[in-house]
Amino acid sequence: MQRFLNLKLNIISSWRLLPLAVLIIFTAPLVIVLSSLLGSYSDNWLHLYEFVLLDYVNSSLILVIGVAILVLIIGTVTAWTITNYNFIGKNIFEWALILPLSIPPYILAYTFTGLFDPYGDANNLIRYLFDLSNDYVFFPNVRSMYGAIIVFSFTLYPYVYLVSRSALINQSKSMKEASRLLGLNQVQVFYKLALPMIRPAVIAGVMLVIMETLSDFGAVDHFAIETFTTGIFRTWYGLYDLQTAMQLASLLLIIIGVFYLIEKNTRGGSIYTSNNSNFSPNLEEDLQGFKALVAFLICFIPIFIGFIIPIVELSFWAYEVNLGFFNDKFVSNAINTLSLSLGTGIICAGLALLINFSIRFKPNKLVEKLSSLLSLGYAVPGLILAVGMVQLMVYLDTFLFSGLDIVLTGSIFGLMIAYVIKTYALANSSIESGYQRISNSMDESSRLLGISGWRMLINIHSPLMKTALLTSVLLVMSDVVKELPATLILRPFNFETLAVSTYTYASEERMLQAAAPAIAIVIIGLIPIIFLSKMIRSSRPN
Amino acid sequence: MDNLILEIKELNHAYGESDIIIEDLSFNISIGERVSILGPSGCGKSTLLRLIAGLEKPNSGEIIKKAEVMTSHEIFIPPEKRNVGLVVQEKALFPHLTVYENICFGIRRNKDKNKIVSDLLELLKIDSLKNKHPHEISGGEQQRVALARSLAPTPDLLMLDEPFSALDEELRKTLYEEVSEVFSEKNSSILLVTHDAYEAEVMTDKQLRMENGKLI
Repeated sequence: MQRFLNLKLNIISSWRLLPLAVLIIFTAPLVIVLSSLLGSYSDNWLHLYEFVLLDYVNSSLILVIGVAILVLIIGTVTAWTITNYNFIGKNIFEWALILPLSIPPYILAYTFTGLFDPYGDANNLIRYLFDLSNDYVFFPNVRSMYGAIIVFSFTLYPYVYLVSRSALINQSKSMKEASRLLGLNQVQVFYKLALPMIRPAVIAGVMLVIMETLSDFGAVDHFAIETFTTGIFRTWYGLYDLQTAMQLASLLLIIIGVFYLIEKNTRGGSIYTSNNSNFSPNLEEDLQGFKALVAFLICFIPIFIGFIIPIVELSFWAYEVNLGFFNDKFVSNAINTLSLSLGTGIICAGLALLINFSIRFKPNKLVEKLSSLLSLGYAVPGLILAVGMVQLMVYLDTFLFSGLDIVLTGSIFGLMIAYVIKTYALANSSIESGYQRISNSMDESSRLLGISGWRMLINIHSPLMKTALLTSVLLVMSDVVKELPATLILRPFNFETLAVSTYTYASEERMLQAAAPAIAIVIIGLIPIIFLSKMIRSSRPN
Repeated sequence: MDNLILEIKELNHAYGESDIIIEDLSFNISIGERVSILGPSGCGKSTLLRLIAGLEKPNSGEIIKKAEVMTSHEIFIPPEKRNVGLVVQEKALFPHLTVYENICFGIRRNKDKNKIVSDLLELLKIDSLKNKHPHEISGGEQQRVALARSLAPTPDLLMLDEPFSALDEELRKTLYEEVSEVFSEKNSSILLVTHDAYEAEVMTDKQLRMENGKLI
C-alpha cells in the first residue's frame, strides 16, 4: 500500500498529471464531434445531403475564394506600399492598417447593413443630397455574397498585411535593384519578384483568413448566406438534431484541418530572404504629387472601410439613443463579459505558465507536443467547439451527476473550457516569448541556492514574467470578448454578454441598441492591436 | 565619338547640402574597353555605378550611353530601360529561383533563352549547378551565377562593384583569370570599381584613380 502511495505521489510530482488532463480537456469535444461520423445518419442528414449540402459547399467555396483573392490584393499591395515608399501619413498607416482586426466581421456586417440597406443612412444621405425620390436606391444590396466577401476581406486583410510586411522588410534592396537592371519596372518587381519571394508567408496568411471565414457565424447569418456554420446552427436549433449538426460540423472540421496543415507547412518554408552577410536593407523611395496620392489612397481605403466607417456609424447610432444604452442591462452584460474574459485570461495564462515551466524545469517531449496540440485550438471554429462541448457536458452530467438535475450542461464551466481551448495559443505565445528572455543560468543559480520546483516558479519566474502574464491575460480577454457562436450556444440560461447582446439586437434589426455593446467589443479588441502596433513600430528597418 | 559606350559629363552628387559624394566627374569608356576605378572605401565609387545604372539621380551632370542621354537635368531613363548590368559583392541572387531561372530572369521573352543560358553556364563552368538554388552553392559559385545573369541580356556596359571582395584570395585569383577570358570572348565593355590594385590591373586595360568624389 505504501509503495502504491509513493508511486502515485511520484507520478503527481513529476508533472505528468497536467498534460494528461490537458489532453482530455482539449480532445474530448473534438473527438465527440468527429465520432458522430461513425454514428447513425438520420432522415435530416439525408435531406441535407440531397438538398442543401451542395449549397453549403458552393457558398462556402465562393466566399473563401472571393475573400482569399481580395485579402491577397489588399494585404500585399498595402504591405508593398508601406515597405517601399515614403509619403504623407505613412508612419500612421504602418500601424493603422491593422486596426480593422479589432472589428469582428459580424460587427462590420451589422454596420454595413445599417448603412447600405435600401433605407440605410448612406442611401438616405444620397436621396437627401440629390433630392431623389424615396424609392431610389443608390448602393447595391450588401446582404449578398458580394457584401459578405467585402466584410470579411476588410476585417481580415491585416493577417496578410502583417506577414507580407514582415517578409518584405527582409528582402534585400540589391535584389530589387538587380531585377530593375534586368528589365523589370517597379510594378513588375512587385508581382514578378517580390510577391513570388514572399509566397509562403502570404499563403500562410491567406490560410488563416480562410479558417476565420469558414469559422464565422455572425456575419454569414446576418447576410443570410448558407454556409456550413449557418447550416450547423439551423440543423441544431431549427431541426433540433444535434447528431446531424455534429456530422456537418465534422465535415467543416476536416476542411479547416486541411487549411490548417497547409498553413503550418507553408509557414515552415517562409524564409525566402537573403541570408547573405552583406544584406542591404530596403531603402524607401520618396513619393510626391500624384504618386503620393495613389499610395495614400491605397493605404487609407482599407482603413476607411474596415475601421473608420463602422466606428463612425456605431458612434452615430449610440449618440442617437442619447446615452440611453447605458442602462442596467448594458452594465450587467459588460460585467458578465469582463468576468468571463478575465477568468479565462487568468486560467489560460496560468495554464500556459505551468506547462512552459514544466517543459523548462523537466524537459519532456510529451508535454511539449501536448502544448503544441493545445495551441491548435485557435483553428477550431467556436461553433464546433460548442457542439462538442454540449455533448461532453451531457455525458458528464449523465455519468457523474445521474441522480441530480443538470449540473454542467448550460453552465459557465463548459463555456470557459471552450474559451480556454480556443485562446490558449494566444496566452502560450506570450508566455513562451517571456520565458525566452529568462536565462537558464538564473534557474541554475536558484537551484544552487536551494530554490527549486514550485518555489522557483512562484519566487523567481512569476515576478520576472509579470509583463508576459499580463499580456497573455489581455490578449485572451480581447479574443473572448469577440467570440460569438460558442457563447451563444454554451452560455447559461438568461446569461448575456456584449457579443450576444449585439447579435440579439442586430438580428432584431435594432441597430441603435446594438451600437453600444459593439463599441465596447471594439474598444476591448483594440488591446492586442496596441501591442501589435508597438511591435510594428519597433520592427522598422534602420 | 561614335565608338564611345559611355560618356560622363560634369557629374555631381551629394546627400544633403554638405555630404558631397561625386564632384565634377567626367570620363569616357569606348566600346569593348575595360576600365577600372580604383579608390578607398567611401570615395564615391559605388555611388557612381548606381548613378550610371539609374538607381539614383545625380544633382547635376550628364550620363550618355551610346550617344543617347540617360540622365540629364531634363531626362531620366529608368534602370530597366538602360541595358546596363551591375554585379555587386552581395550577388543579389533571387533565393526562390534555381541557378537556371536566375540567369534566365532578364531574358524571359527571348526565343533563344535556352541556348544563351546553356552557353553561359558552360562558359562560367557552372552547368552542373543549373537546378540548384542559391543557398545550395558556394560563394564563388554564386558570384559566377550573378555574373552569368548580368551577361545574359548582353548589356551594353557591364559594371562590377568589388564583385569578388567577399571571396578568399585563391578563389579570387582563379576568378580574375576566368572572368577576364569570358569578357574577352564576349568583347564586353566593362567598368569595374575596386580598392584592389591587383584586381584592377588583371581585369582591366585602363585604371583611373578616385578620391573624395573626384578623379585624380
